[in-house]
Amino acid sequence: MKLILSHLQQFLPDLSYPPEKIRDDLSMIGHFCNYYEKVEGEIVFDLDIKVNRGDCLGYYGLARDLSVYYNLPLQLPNTIFSATNTNYELPIKVTSPDVTRIMSIKISNVKVGSSPDWLIKFIKLHNINSVNNLVDLTNYAMFLYGIPSHAFDTTKCTDNIIWENNHGKTTNFTTLDGTILKLYPENLVISNPDKVLSTDLVGGKNSGITDTTTDIIIEVAIYNRVRVRRDSKQLKTVTEASIRLEKDLDPDTIPLGFNCLASLILKHCSGQISSSLFDYYPQKTVPPTIAFSSNKPSQYSGIDIPSEYSFEVLKHLGCTISDSLVTPPSIRKDLTLEEDLIEEVVRFWGYNKIPTNQPLQYEKLSDITPKILSLIELLKDNLVALGYDEVRSWPLVQDNSNSVNPFGLDNIIRTQNSINSEFPNLRQSLITSLLEQIAQYGRYKLPKTQYFEIGKIFYLDRQQKNPYQEKYSVALYHNNPDTLIDNIKTLSKRLSINLIDQKPGLFIKNGFHFFEIYLDHLVELPGLISTPNMQNVIKNSAYELTSQIITLDANVVFSEKQDPQQLLQTYVAKINPQYLWNLVILDVYEDSAPKQFKYTVRAYYYNLDDKSAKKLHQQVFSGE
Amino acid sequence: MNPNLDQIKSEILAVQTSPELEDLRIKYLGRNGLINGLFSKIGEQPVEKRKDYGQQLNTIKKQIEELLAIQSTKVTTVDTLVQEPESLFSLPKVGHLHPITQTERELNALFKKLGFSVYDSPIIETDEFNFQRLNVPLDHPARDMQDTIYINEPTYLLRTQGSTIESRLLSQQKPPFRCAFPGIVYRNEKVNKSNHFIFHHYQAVVVDKNITMKDLIGTMDLMFKTLYGPSAIVRYRCKYYPEVEPGVGPDMQCFNCNGTGCTLCKHAGWIEMGGSGMIHPNVLESAGINPKIWRGFAFGMGLDRWVMAKFGITDIRTFLGGNLAYKPNIL
Repeated sequence: MKLILSHLQQFLPDLSYPPEKIRDDLSMIGHFCNYYEKVEGEIVFDLDIKVNRGDCLGYYGLARDLSVYYNLPLQLPNTIFSATNTNYELPIKVTSPDVTRIMSIKISNVKVGSSPDWLIKFIKLHNINSVNNLVDLTNYAMFLYGIPSHAFDTTKCTDNIIWENNHGKTTNFTTLDGTILKLYPENLVISNPDKVLSTDLVGGKNSGITDTTTDIIIEVAIYNRVRVRRDSKQLKTVTEASIRLEKDLDPDTIPLGFNCLASLILKHCSGQISSSLFDYYPQKTVPPTIAFSSNKPSQYSGIDIPSEYSFEVLKHLGCTISDSLVTPPSIRKDLTLEEDLIEEVVRFWGYNKIPTNQPLQYEKLSDITPKILSLIELLKDNLVALGYDEVRSWPLVQDNSNSVNPFGLDNIIRTQNSINSEFPNLRQSLITSLLEQIAQYGRYKLPKTQYFEIGKIFYLDRQQKNPYQEKYSVALYHNNPDTLIDNIKTLSKRLSINLIDQKPGLFIKNGFHFFEIYLDHLVELPGLISTPNMQNVIKNSAYELTSQIITLDANVVFSEKQDPQQLLQTYVAKINPQYLWNLVILDVYEDSAPKQFKYTVRAYYYNLDDKSAKKLHQQVFSGE
Repeated sequence: MNPNLDQIKSEILAVQTSPELEDLRIKYLGRNGLINGLFSKIGEQPVEKRKDYGQQLNTIKKQIEELLAIQSTKVTTVDTLVQEPESLFSLPKVGHLHPITQTERELNALFKKLGFSVYDSPIIETDEFNFQRLNVPLDHPARDMQDTIYINEPTYLLRTQGSTIESRLLSQQKPPFRCAFPGIVYRNEKVNKSNHFIFHHYQAVVVDKNITMKDLIGTMDLMFKTLYGPSAIVRYRCKYYPEVEPGVGPDMQCFNCNGTGCTLCKHAGWIEMGGSGMIHPNVLESAGINPKIWRGFAFGMGLDRWVMAKFGITDIRTFLGGNLAYKPNIL
């Protein structure tokens, strides 16, 4: 939400701190300020308002918070509106149970035209388009008090307005901007006997204010927020009004917003009040009374906060305090528990006064780490020791022939609404993921790979109360099938269980050899060595492949036999590690006459194109 | 001439691995392949038809090349060294842990030293444990903070937050306890260079008597300093999460601009690092834990961006996308 400093100062005339301080303080007390900027001579803050602070979707609510934080007096802007002595009662009906409160009145002989410059600027800085003075003022009042308002052209719609649930009356509804919405029976709408004039989210074209409008009905209203939220989702429509109305707003703040709007219309659009005030408020809200101990803020925060300060803050917030019972002001719908009051006290005292250098100290508690997690870490350690790399992959997989489904196609678990619709299924086997890994490494021409993944696999079991089953699995791939078997045998010895016999076991797919086993039941097997070793931190580098590995061979000749490790190290030292992926000796050939030793060295380069790799290769192995 | 292009096409499209594809390339386009064989017969054609014959063959050759090229992007490519000779000598072989695992272990080690256990829970969750037990009832606006992937709406879903593990923990264990847990979570978001639908969260929960915000902030600060170094500047401000009260939001001073404001921190000077707070009494109560006796804190953060910065990874898709690799030998 945008907050313009000069308009905030209507409520806080003594607010004179520099914008940097206001920005930081707003963030600290819970209204995160992304930034502030100077635009058209105004200081504008950009705020993230918490979803439980609907009151702060208006300047008034934010000003109330800042008045407590800075201990400044809060002032309401002057209004010139007062109740009228006309006898005409608006024939408004309310049949919907979703209406919490409506205030409404008729104003005749208004003059609709362009907005004054200050209003155009205000509206523009809030990222909406100026329409005309009347519409802009309804928006202005909404931004000031955080409660949406609306004006109907009564020449178009008459005074016979009804708040009702649609009941299938109208299926199509054209909004002010010409969008056609298909209404559902349960939507909350504002109608006359013939047609829908507005929804709870957005006004309609058939009653909209234009330059020729003279007579209007204005309304400021709050509805059942659940109804608004459902309507917004159903109609796929999000407006400044819906953003506010789906929060818990205060019906007792409506008179402030209403008086403000009526005054501004009378001031800027002329006109006369031509009806008595309509105020529908069937069930008045009663704020809760909360038992509050003034030592609780200290107990919760861990620092000393004087009791007097707690009461001072709560009073300044508008709470009524009687003994240890606190009644929050009606505008603060988020204050319902003692913990809420504690947060109020601590946030104004300052989270920054809580020390950051006193963490919890070690305390011996029983270790409730599930055995499966210890086994997983043990497996990872052992597989890394055997030279395997760990990969992780998407648990969501495609519907294609590479998918491995040991639990059957009928038992695939599918997502219902994933926007990544090409990957609709939860994998039944990690081998599906490893196959994709092989393909990816193949595209980058990665040499000699061996890797593993440990993760969840998923399947339907309709016999279970919860049919959506998942379990941990480990899968290995090695480019050499014989080595893969040897490694499993080694792993079996280290864990003291015969892994070869475990399910699903060895698997061949597309000519590649894999080994996969489910883990959950292993922890119950007798003899399994699974000493928890969760503190074993292995640190290694990892690389984001962006180009193919380039493989080049070189034949180098020496008159004497070389130590292969030393020879490799000699060449490694000559190549910038940024470009060298690996280096191996493929072959050694001994010539007798003349006596010489030929070494075939294979170098793998990365981060280089072909030409650069060949040039580097020649420099290293031919000295060119 | 007249090679059956439809048959060739179906043969190529049926192939699933690169060696098989290479076999087909040799069969049709190799030196002794079908197309070259047909070219060699050009001299046998009547003089006036040789030009057309050659053109037709070139067209067919080009079509086969295109089919092979298209299929080459779809097949599973065999590891290049499978066909290579085994090396006689190499530098010592070493395996590697995924960067996310390394970071999780680093954090696990830190919390183990403070007496924490590590915990886990299902990925497919119920609305009850993912939302309701965390003080987010149906139709609560806070649900908009997380786009949910459903398995069977409205009951079964892929967990959207690490706090889901917390709600399982609270319901399964008796206090006092201290637990930390890495966990994959899912949000219904489009995948691109900087966003993913799979996130790696890390969360810690403590329930005991007399737990305070000072314990929370001190422990969280220790974690940040472990991860980011002792000079990291973190501020703790009021923030809303339905499952905690009071809520605390840690922001780290932007390491790019030192707090002056830049595009990385969106000119705020601070980068939001996660969420935390004292566990809401409703959350404890719904798990059968008496909030009059027990208090607790919980904090969580996303790991992906931090691990990206640490490992010099520029694309978030790399973590799970198959192009993360490790040098196979100690160089």
